[in-house]
Amino acid sequence: MKILHPVTGGALAVLFLFPLLWSGYASLRTPDGFGLENYARLFTDDSGIRGYHVLNSLTVAALTVGGTLLVATLGGYAFGRFEFPGRDALFLVTLAILMVPYATILIALYVLLGWIGLQDSLLGLSLVLIMFQLPFAIFMMRNSFAAVPRELEESAQVDGASSLGVLLRVMLPAVRPGLVTVALFAFLSSWSEFFAPLILLNSTDRFTMTLAVVNMRTATFGAIDYAALEAGVTLMAVPCLLLFMVLQRSYVRGFMSGALRG
Amino acid sequence: MTTTVSRPAVAVRAAPAGPRRRRALTGLLYAAPTAFMVGAFFVVPLGLVAWMSLHRWPLLGVPSLNAPANYTGSTGDTLLTDAAWFTARYTVIITVLLFTTALGMALLVQRKRPGTGLFRTAFFLPAAVGFASASLLFLGLLSAEIGPFGGVVSVSGSATTALGAAILLVLWRFAGFNMLILLTGLQAIPTEVYEAAKLDGAGRWQTFTHITLPLLRATIALVLTLIVTGSLLAFDQFWILTRGGPDNSTTSLVMVIYRKAFIELDLGSAAAVSVVLLIVLVAVSLVQLAVLRDRSAP
Amino acid sequence: MKRSIAAVLLMTGVAGCGGQAADDGPATVTLWTRAATETVSKAYAEAYNATHEDTVEVTAYPNEEYPAKLASAAGAKALPDLFAADVVFAPQYASQGLWLDITDRFEALPVAGKVAPAHVRNGTWEGRHYAVPHTIDMSVLLYNKDLYTRAGLDPDKPPTSLTEFAAQARAVDKLGGDVNGTYFGGNCGGCNVFTLWPSVWAAGGDVMNDDGTASTINGPEMAGVFALYRQLFDEGVAAPASKDEAGPTWLGALQSGNIGIAPAPSVWLGIIEEKADFALGVAPISGLTGGESTFVGGDAIGVGATSKHAGAAWDFLSWTLGDEAQIEVIAKGKGVPVRTDLAANTYATADPRVVTINSLMAKGRTPYAKNFNATYNDPQSPWIATFRGALFGDATASLTDGASALTASLAK
Repeated sequence: MKILHPVTGGALAVLFLFPLLWSGYASLRTPDGFGLENYARLFTDDSGIRGYHVLNSLTVAALTVGGTLLVATLGGYAFGRFEFPGRDALFLVTLAILMVPYATILIALYVLLGWIGLQDSLLGLSLVLIMFQLPFAIFMMRNSFAAVPRELEESAQVDGASSLGVLLRVMLPAVRPGLVTVALFAFLSSWSEFFAPLILLNSTDRFTMTLAVVNMRTATFGAIDYAALEAGVTLMAVPCLLLFMVLQRSYVRGFMSGALRG
Repeated sequence: MTTTVSRPAVAVRAAPAGPRRRRALTGLLYAAPTAFMVGAFFVVPLGLVAWMSLHRWPLLGVPSLNAPANYTGSTGDTLLTDAAWFTARYTVIITVLLFTTALGMALLVQRKRPGTGLFRTAFFLPAAVGFASASLLFLGLLSAEIGPFGGVVSVSGSATTALGAAILLVLWRFAGFNMLILLTGLQAIPTEVYEAAKLDGAGRWQTFTHITLPLLRATIALVLTLIVTGSLLAFDQFWILTRGGPDNSTTSLVMVIYRKAFIELDLGSAAAVSVVLLIVLVAVSLVQLAVLRDRSAP
Repeated sequence: MKRSIAAVLLMTGVAGCGGQAADDGPATVTLWTRAATETVSKAYAEAYNATHEDTVEVTAYPNEEYPAKLASAAGAKALPDLFAADVVFAPQYASQGLWLDITDRFEALPVAGKVAPAHVRNGTWEGRHYAVPHTIDMSVLLYNKDLYTRAGLDPDKPPTSLTEFAAQARAVDKLGGDVNGTYFGGNCGGCNVFTLWPSVWAAGGDVMNDDGTASTINGPEMAGVFALYRQLFDEGVAAPASKDEAGPTWLGALQSGNIGIAPAPSVWLGIIEEKADFALGVAPISGLTGGESTFVGGDAIGVGATSKHAGAAWDFLSWTLGDEAQIEVIAKGKGVPVRTDLAANTYATADPRVVTINSLMAKGRTPYAKNFNATYNDPQSPWIATFRGALFGDATASLTDGASALTASLAK
């Protein structure tokens, strides 16, 4: 057993890291060795990535992360700490978001965004992405808030702090790992989302990086530029992988406090 | 969703009626943004989908009521019934494989030992890659053109290889994520419980089946619900990797919905299948939670 | 306030009914296309923008997801001013009313009678015109002249019948090694309608009835074509990868220089030669015993039904059909003009192979069916099950079962 642990773990770790490492390797392979040609092609191709694609992706990610944090913090606090009419129903409906086929609801969302004048807008796209983040984010924040010792909140209330004051000054620092986790996952999914921007955005200058990468892949019928594809995948993945490693301590704690201990 | 969290600590037990009502109001206020987002961007579109399912819904022009034709019209559709069976089969396979892999990995890295941190990171890292990106990554990885296994097996060579490729992808992408959730459950089990079991002379396997599993039941319920839901809605892995082939052997239910909506331009029928699928999903999740939660009450 | 609203309504109304684009100054006209057609659409737009007040803005979407994008945009009443689509999908979009009726405008064009007739027919629904050709891509035989020479064949004598095609493919295949006689998309519906049907037409057969509501796939001509390809695959003359080819690596296979002769899109002539170190020959696709035909594919384009710049949008379309655009944009870029009278233009005559391609248009066809995509192109289409059965499974059963499955899908 003592031997088993490092051997199995090591073998599994290699298996799990292999696709990522291979993707990086394949993206650097060129006909005559190694180089950044495939990445260069991503940016120089007629339908490749432009600066504004990166900017759009960052904007959507920022709006989604900010919006998700705002809604989920307030909502999580409400679900985790308060008793109010309709609480359980709202919570269950929020979780039901996970259970709807994406393609169908996107058509309806496209229609809806038309009603409120947010078709073909990064804000409209972000609102939709925030909604899709809510099941995970609300679940995580509700449990994070619920896990905070009651005495902490009560002593602040005795000191006469307002409800909002308690939330901001006492509760938020206590649920920091949960917040980091929610922000991280909101970033990851909005950053790499493909189908929602495809359906909800109409103008080239509002396209996100994922759209540009996929567009480039299919620009010539009958040929996939696999090397450029892996370069695109790697390019999209690197910021996420870095964030994951940097924030690892926080989100592991976030999961611990978020998923458990009522 | 899990017993450990379904009774949140609420500091209102002995509060008099006035403050209690005020607290309820405050809670409502905090929940308002969630209610707005869920209402406007989920309930309203969902209502629109349900409304569509009762109509012949042309892309442009005026819809006309045709209920229940969209619901009954698909009953003889073999593509749909085959896809339903495939999706069910896929869900069973993925649930078994993904759950056991994730649980095995969680047990492996449960206690701090040399290398554990590294293993955890390695297992969890694929979760950082978007699922569509991950599918594209595997498309290249398993391709004959640049993949390291080039030409050995062809993804769309047979139903088995196509399904196998999708399973590999899903295991790789989601095992770590589910492992982390299970890990949180494992770590919540007090060490004293294990020590007591040891004193009673329980073996490793007995401890696992009599202590670990029962105490983990709530977390297991959560993980299983997530896996089953995700599998019943499977789309990306097949859309990108196998295109539903070969010979429709990996055509999932959501792919059929996609086809009805975007290829046949029959939004009414697509909405009807979606509504049925949603009802099934909610029912399955409720049953799953009820069964697993019932006996977990400590 | 009321007056200004009325004025806006009036203005958009006028533009919508075909008023001049100058109504409210230069208009920006949005045009959607799939990624595969992007270069052509952009070339048109650039040339147009350089000489016109209005601006055409091209947005390209991934090929596979483009129909989804169009459908959801239509559902949300957010279609662009112009959108192009695979010409075989045109009857479906026309029948759904996604394009504006342009019958009067089209018929008023002096060149109306010379615009690719097969394409024009696909842009009609119940006698009205909704779309005009945007790009043309035809199926032809492409063969590797270097491999022909090595195999002892005359590189200037391409096959004149499908039987000769098979014989020449076998001869090349004998070279062995990485070389194969031929290649096809054995898991790709769109590829096979494009490459196999011309052989049926060349033999005088057909695959559907006239209005595209019933399949006649179980006729002897189609069976003969399938049997020939099936034999080539069984013998190993067709590359083994043909069976799983779903389209994405089809071009790559021909670019490798290891395939003797294969039916393929005509636009690949330029694409392959750009990088290839071997010479490429072009020949028409024939029937089992002779004849010539082609599948006139490509994209059709029409004015989006919800467009507020219909006048400006049509102005662009009518310009694309004119001599200047067809010669200086399309022919110059090695494309096939959408006009029958421009087949032998100054750019084409420089390369006899291009004249061969261009002149095929008159003999070719574009199949017409409202449910084309769902029946033939989509990966879940009954056509894929049918031809995979005919090529790799139980041939007779799949043709009879296939015909009824196809008819059921066409008649939906």
